[in-house]
Parts: sequence; structure tokens; C-alpha cells
Amino acid sequence: MRVVILSWEYPPRVVGKLADYVKELAVQLAKNRIETYVVTYHDYMMGEFEENGVKTYRVTNPVKTHISVLTWVLTLNQEVERAAANIYYRACGHIDAMDVQDWHFIPAAVTLKKAFGIPFAYSIESLEDHRSHGADSPFNMAIKSIEWLGMHEAGKILAKSEWMASEAARIYKVPVAKINVVKPGSERWIKTILEVYKSLREGS
Amino acid sequence: MPDILRVMMLTWEFPPRIVGGISPHVYYLSRSLAKSGVKVYVVTCDFPGAPSHETLNGVEVYRVDSYKNPSPDFASWVYLMNMNMQKEAAFIVRELGGVDIFHAHDWLVANAGIGLKHVFRRPLLATIHSTEYGRRNGIHSDYERMIHETEAWLTYEAWRVICCSNYMISHVKWVFGLPEDKLIMIPNGVDAKEYEKSDNDLNQFRRRFALPEEKIVLFVGRLVYEKGIHVLVNAVPKVLEKVNAKFVIVGNGYMQQSLSEHIKNIGLAHKVMFTGFVDDKTLRNLQKCADVSVVPSLFEPFGIVALEAMAAKSPVVVSDTGGLSEIVEHEVTGIKVYPNNPDSLAWGITRVLLDNDLANNLRKNAYRKVVETYNWEKISQQTKKVYENVLSEYSKTFWA
Repeated sequence: MRVVILSWEYPPRVVGKLADYVKELAVQLAKNRIETYVVTYHDYMMGEFEENGVKTYRVTNPVKTHISVLTWVLTLNQEVERAAANIYYRACGHIDAMDVQDWHFIPAAVTLKKAFGIPFAYSIESLEDHRSHGADSPFNMAIKSIEWLGMHEAGKILAKSEWMASEAARIYKVPVAKINVVKPGSERWIKTILEVYKSLREGS
Repeated sequence: MPDILRVMMLTWEFPPRIVGGISPHVYYLSRSLAKSGVKVYVVTCDFPGAPSHETLNGVEVYRVDSYKNPSPDFASWVYLMNMNMQKEAAFIVRELGGVDIFHAHDWLVANAGIGLKHVFRRPLLATIHSTEYGRRNGIHSDYERMIHETEAWLTYEAWRVICCSNYMISHVKWVFGLPEDKLIMIPNGVDAKEYEKSDNDLNQFRRRFALPEEKIVLFVGRLVYEKGIHVLVNAVPKVLEKVNAKFVIVGNGYMQQSLSEHIKNIGLAHKVMFTGFVDDKTLRNLQKCADVSVVPSLFEPFGIVALEAMAAKSPVVVSDTGGLSEIVEHEVTGIKVYPNNPDSLAWGITRVLLDNDLANNLRKNAYRKVVETYNWEKISQQTKKVYENVLSEYSKTFWA
């Protein structure tokens, strides 16, 4: 099975908790004989590497000047698409599933899904409603609209706690059956994730 | 080379949505390309009442929901609109089983064009109609720099960059540091047939604007500084010393109030008429009635309004700048005057109004020039040739 993870942080670029989590995920997947790619951002350390059995592909932002994290994310997505498309074509058009970490690369995931029919899981680390304490300025609402797009285009949603699962269901009206809870560090963690990827591949 | 060339054209405006010049440009270009056997798929923003998919003059038009995401500012709206446009376009391309080329118009569809290029591994062409640097006369803020860099990114990713005048070619080459051989000049066009439709009574129509003994001097454009409307207003008394004329000024803009007050103060309100916006039919009739059409712009990437006047067989007086310099040949297809110089402009206007032979020659030559050079059939042939050349180069790459 070939899986591409899209994440805006990955070591050595560490912004919050997500970077180390995604690294642990990728390493565990590789150990479970999943061909694992991570497409991520770095300011200058661009290109492809293999680290601990994980293939990383780092891109930078083609537009350097920005007015917000929103515009920064939206011009970065095309580079993420380029990297993912390169993986796709090199693999003769075969990627089983994508796993998108938080909202940043949802636009790329949705385009890749529409173009190639690759299903994706949306893994929630946090939601804009909590990050911005319910703020509803056009800026926050724009990010929420991208989260909404992800919730509805994703084949599966992965929440790291029961609470986050219920919040996703409450805020974005996602059917509970679409959400899987994967507690990091728990025994069933990687097993559940593997099952989710398999169900995505099989289209169930 | 494929049997039928399939082009996906990306544009943020397409009729009935009209914001500026890109909408009519893409409308005529796609229509003429379709006539010459190119299959064109236009993907554009939605508009109230317009269908989400229609076939128009052989062109497939898809309109994408572009106002669903709340946006803090115009540029963020553009990027979010691109997110939606790209995902819809990706779906359409997959359904179609592929297209040969993507063609993007201005930075407003840069993200979508670039993303589609890489996802489908197909060449991207860009037409640059204007630049942030030109619009703002320099880059003065992070907001403007972000747009400028997005334009640079589009020209970087494009296989070829098309501009509509040599003036724009040199501007774009300099402002984005592009190599010469990446740039192609294909002029903008005008549909002369639109002006051939005979109207029952132009004399009757003319009376709404001028007395029979008055010559009509026509200005069409936004009433803003770079269009040089103040130069024309300052030329009014100088022209009236020699010729009995009526100045008809079509368009809106922030300078209207101060200019009409100035006209009133110098006692010439009966000689200058501000019409505001007029519909297409009235505009064409006015252009046909005009004894002279004036384009006194200080900055003009192309100057489509001069071409329209030439198609309407109205003699033109233009300032010798930007794209206008290329469209008009002095004393052959029009009169060129010094930019920002009311004396020179008044000289040009009176020269045309007092010499009927000259005026008729200018009309004849200008009309021929429009039909020969600036017709959409020819422009679409040139564009098709660019598509074919790009595809032939592409066929030798590992993407093919």
C-alpha cells in the first residue's frame, strides 16, 4: 500500500505538537510495510530525502510576501500538488490514500482527489473554532470554510480524542460514522489507522 | 499533434460577468478559436442568472461557485476562488479524459492554472493583460508585492507569456525579468462586424447629443487621471477658438465632479456633455457619429477604445504613448499628439475637424488596418499557432 501524508509541519520544522506526531505516524507506517511519503514545507531545505524508511518531499512557497497565514497557505498548495503529482506519476498513477494533517493542505488534497480519484483521510489536530475561541471574522470564517470542505470531501475523519470527534460532528455536522477516534500512544492507534487507509482504498 | 486541440481557458470574468477588458477578450478569442476548430473549455466565476454549464458559439463554458468562502480582502478572495476553480476544473478535465493546454488570463487565475499544469502535466500559457506594477505605478505595500510575486510566479510557470502590445512585452520582460524568447506579442482585437449593423436613423440619434452644425468630439473611458481626461478638458477652449464642436464624454470616474465644475466655471457647459455609462448600442452609435474620437491617455497598455473608434470609421487622435503608439500611424491611420499636452491635443483635434480630406483618409486607412490586423480571426490563428508550437516542444519532454 502506498500512502501520501500532507502536513505543513514535519521535523526539523516544528511549529507545535503536530510535527512529532506526524513523524511517529510515518515511521510506524513504514515499519508496517506501508510505502510512506510525507509532503511538507520547509523554507529552504527543499527536495526529496529518505529518513527512517519514510520518503519526504519538501517544498517551499513560490510567493514570498504575504499578508496572512491564509494567503501563505493558499499559494503553497500548488507546490504541494506538484510534489504529490510527481509521486503519483512516478508510481505509474498509483496512490492508495492520502492523509491530510489539519486544514492547510486540504485544497491540494481535494484537487488531487478530483483529478486522480485518490481518497483521503482528514486528521484533525485542532479546529479553527477552538484556536480562535469562536471568532467569526472573515479571516476565521475563510479558514473554517476550508475545514468544512475537508470534512465533506474526506472519505474518513481521524480525531485524536472522543471530544474532538464530537466537536467535528457538532461544528461541521459530519456523520459520526465517518469519524474514527485514534488515540496517539494507545495500542490500537496504528492498527486503526491502517484499517482506515484500507477502507479508503476499498472505497468503503 | 492531437486531431482536435483541446484548450482549457481560465478567466475570472466572462460574459455576462464583465469587470474589465478580460471578459470581452476571452469571449471573442474563445469564439474565434472554436470557429477555427479548437475545442475550448472556458472555466470562469459564476454570475447571477447565468447557467453553470452552457455551450456558447461552440465554446463550452463552466461557471464555478466563487463566492462561497468568506474573505477578508480581495486578494484572499482571489486565492479562495482559485481553490474552488481548480477543484472544479480538475473534475471537468478528468470527466473529459484530459485537455492539451491550459491558458490562464492574469494573476487572478494563477493558482488554478499552475496547479492544473502540474497535476495533469500539461503546458500552461499565460496572457498578461496588465501588471500590479503598472496599475499602481510601482509596488508600495506587502499586499501589492504579494500580487506582484503571484504574477511573477505565473509567468515563471508559463511555457509562453502572451501580451497584446510591444509596449507590454518590454514592460513584462523588465518587471518580471523574463527571457525574450518566452514572450509573444499577439494584439487585442475588435469585431468590426458589430459596427456594420445599419441603424435606421443616425441623424435622429445624433441630435440627442449635438446641434447639426456642431462637430462631435468623443471621449470614451474611465474619468481617471491616467486616461488624460483633464488634458482634453483643458483643450476644449483651444479647439472652440477654431471650430464649432460638442465634446461628448462617456464614462464615470472620480474626476467627473471637478471636471464638470471647471467646465461650468469657464462658461462652456453647453459645449461639453457628460453622459456617464451608456449601453453597448448607444456607445457604438456614438462612435459612428463622432467626427473625431480622442484617446488622450497618459498610461495605456493597449488602447482598445482607439481600435473601436477605428472600426466605427471615426478618425482618431491619440497621445503618443504605450500601446496607442503602436496602433496608430501618424497622419495615416490617425493623428498622434504629445501626451499630457493640451495645446498639442487641440492641434490634433482641429487638424482633423478642419480638413475633410484628411479625416476621410484617416477613416479609410484606419478601418482597413483594423480589419487586416486587429481582427479576431487572425488573432485566433496566431494563438492557435502558439498552442501548436508549444505542444510540439512539449511532445519532446518527459511529461509527454
